[in-house]
Amino acid sequence: MVETDRLRDLLVEFFALAPEIAAEDIVQERIAKWDSLAMVQLIVEIQTVFGVAFDVEEIDQLTSYVQIRQALDRKGVKVSP
Amino acid sequence: MQRPVDIAVSRLPEPARAAVLAAFGEAPTWMSVRRANAALEAVDARLRGPDVAIHLLASFNVEPVEPALRLGLECIPCRPQLRIAPLNTIEQHLLDKTSFVYQEDSLATVVLWRIEELIPEVLLPYSSGGTEVVRGRVEQLWGRIERACRAYRGTAKSPLFLATFPSPRQMSGLVLNSQLVGGAMNAVAELNRKLGELAASLPGLYLLDWNWWAAQEGAGAFDPMMEQMARQPLSLRGALSLGLFVGRHLRPLVAPRRKVLVLDLDNTLWGGILGEDGVRGLKLGHDFPGNIYRRIQREARELKDQGVLLVLVSKNDEAEVREAFRELPDMELKWEDFVSRRVNFNHKHENLREIADELGLGIDSFAMLDDSDYEREQMRMFQPEVLVINQRSDPLHMLQALQSTDAFDAYTVSAEDRGRHREYELREARSGRGHEANLEEFLRSLHLEATVERIHEGTEQRVVQMLSKTNQFNLTTRRHRLEELKALMAAPGSIGLTLRLSDKFGDQGIVGVLLAVPAEKGRLRIDSYLVSCRALGRGVEECLWAELAKQARAGKFAGIIGEYIPTPKNGLAEKFFDKLGFARFEKTSSVTRYLMEPVKPVEPPAWLASNGGQ
Repeated sequence: MVETDRLRDLLVEFFALAPEIAAEDIVQERIAKWDSLAMVQLIVEIQTVFGVAFDVEEIDQLTSYVQIRQALDRKGVKVSP
Repeated sequence: MQRPVDIAVSRLPEPARAAVLAAFGEAPTWMSVRRANAALEAVDARLRGPDVAIHLLASFNVEPVEPALRLGLECIPCRPQLRIAPLNTIEQHLLDKTSFVYQEDSLATVVLWRIEELIPEVLLPYSSGGTEVVRGRVEQLWGRIERACRAYRGTAKSPLFLATFPSPRQMSGLVLNSQLVGGAMNAVAELNRKLGELAASLPGLYLLDWNWWAAQEGAGAFDPMMEQMARQPLSLRGALSLGLFVGRHLRPLVAPRRKVLVLDLDNTLWGGILGEDGVRGLKLGHDFPGNIYRRIQREARELKDQGVLLVLVSKNDEAEVREAFRELPDMELKWEDFVSRRVNFNHKHENLREIADELGLGIDSFAMLDDSDYEREQMRMFQPEVLVINQRSDPLHMLQALQSTDAFDAYTVSAEDRGRHREYELREARSGRGHEANLEEFLRSLHLEATVERIHEGTEQRVVQMLSKTNQFNLTTRRHRLEELKALMAAPGSIGLTLRLSDKFGDQGIVGVLLAVPAEKGRLRIDSYLVSCRALGRGVEECLWAELAKQARAGKFAGIIGEYIPTPKNGLAEKFFDKLGFARFEKTSSVTRYLMEPVKPVEPPAWLASNGGQ
């Protein structure tokens, strides 16, 4: 059974990725649509959906599922139950 | 409080409405914006309003928020083809006649700019050479703005919408900066004042008060992180709201203003119920809550003086209502301020149907303010074309709804607009005599006088206004703008006529327009032929025709081609060319073409004294 993962779902919908993609494979370099324009919108999206605000230093690091998840973890946000 | 999005969304086609509302929610997300745009894309294009090109020039990077801005514009409603110039190329585009902003058939060019980008020195004057130097830069900037705007308006066909400059957001030294003549606050105020003067002097240049918007929206409309990251200062919520705001300013270009405001009495124009509380028990005046009702009346009177017709529809006893109008000391509205009144116990939608016929106006040009949930609901059910302005019965809500509605939005108020109420009043006086047995005798008794003349500079604006507003007696419904009209009339041989009507009650202004242009085989083609509905049935149409026929014969034209282009509203003009004696030679679903060859001479109607085109 696949565990629900709100961050993975968000990224899949946001970049229209294949639904079966492994979360660890969601990395900026491998996703053509993840350009600087998308990055700007993605940050707004994550901040709004998870109710957090990132610092400048954090924003610079948000380039993959794993890193975004870690940043959310540090803020005490759980992306899956 | 009614949010702008609530007003806008009510006009959208049903299947997309929920998705759009969700996108404008408390904490909007990009996915909700994308879903809303996709939901609109899925709706039949015809239900989404006209396809329009809108050009955007900005001093910041608009690209990252484009889908949100576009969603706001969709709510006009329209299908916007939004084209955005590269960051900070405003001046280049306005000055470059080959730029896309000069594209002929676009709806508008919109300029959004901020002092932070155009002249950042004003935020840091002391390290930028001092306040005098900075002040000089502001002067220079203004010179460039004015030159670019004049160049654009001198050539381009589309109107130009300039944003006012918002007060700067990220600024140090607030206290000091507020004191300085060369400081940011002063620069913003000065530039905005000059923008206002420029707009007043250049036709086709309009302002959108972005500064007002920024103050209303507050800090939540901006995102300092985005400003640094993407040279784009708006939050998502701000971008959505700005799209709606710009859309509201463009809307009058595609949607006509509502012409009639229908007002209820009890708990709408005064507090209390006349039939129960009596005149003395009514709340109206300078104290709470009577001051709110008084303000509602004052707002209505303001609209009346801008050319909106007021109609009173109340379930009451007329004698009592007249007494209340006479006796209440703080009434802002008088009985005579209404062009039509129905104080009776009939259904309001039936009353409105009658009034629409009486005034010769479409019911879709009516908007209503009424405290009764029942009445509003009944109107929505039986006469959904009538716009219901307020959603609740609370007087403060009603006042705010009346103040914030876009139903009466316009860019200018013409002399005709200001005099409209009187014209309809007189019209009512006239129609009261329409029962006289002999129609021609009745028309003669009005001492009608027509002045037909060639279109000239002094009448062009009115002609364009009529072209844009006349729906019913309008054979082709071609909405030429000023520049197009000028181009048509510049063609050798073209004939453009206006008809000004007066009668024993007064001058009605220009009520008829006829444009004819040379066509192949030595013929003339009637491009536009329209008569204001308040002047129909008095021979105006025939009088214009007689003059055109005379001038066509004098100009040795072989024949005249007439066209009837059907719309949902101009059915009453369908047989007009048949009536004039034209022969039909082509009929498709979109147009019927007629020809009269040779042109027969015809006399203007006998009861209408005409100047004969002098």
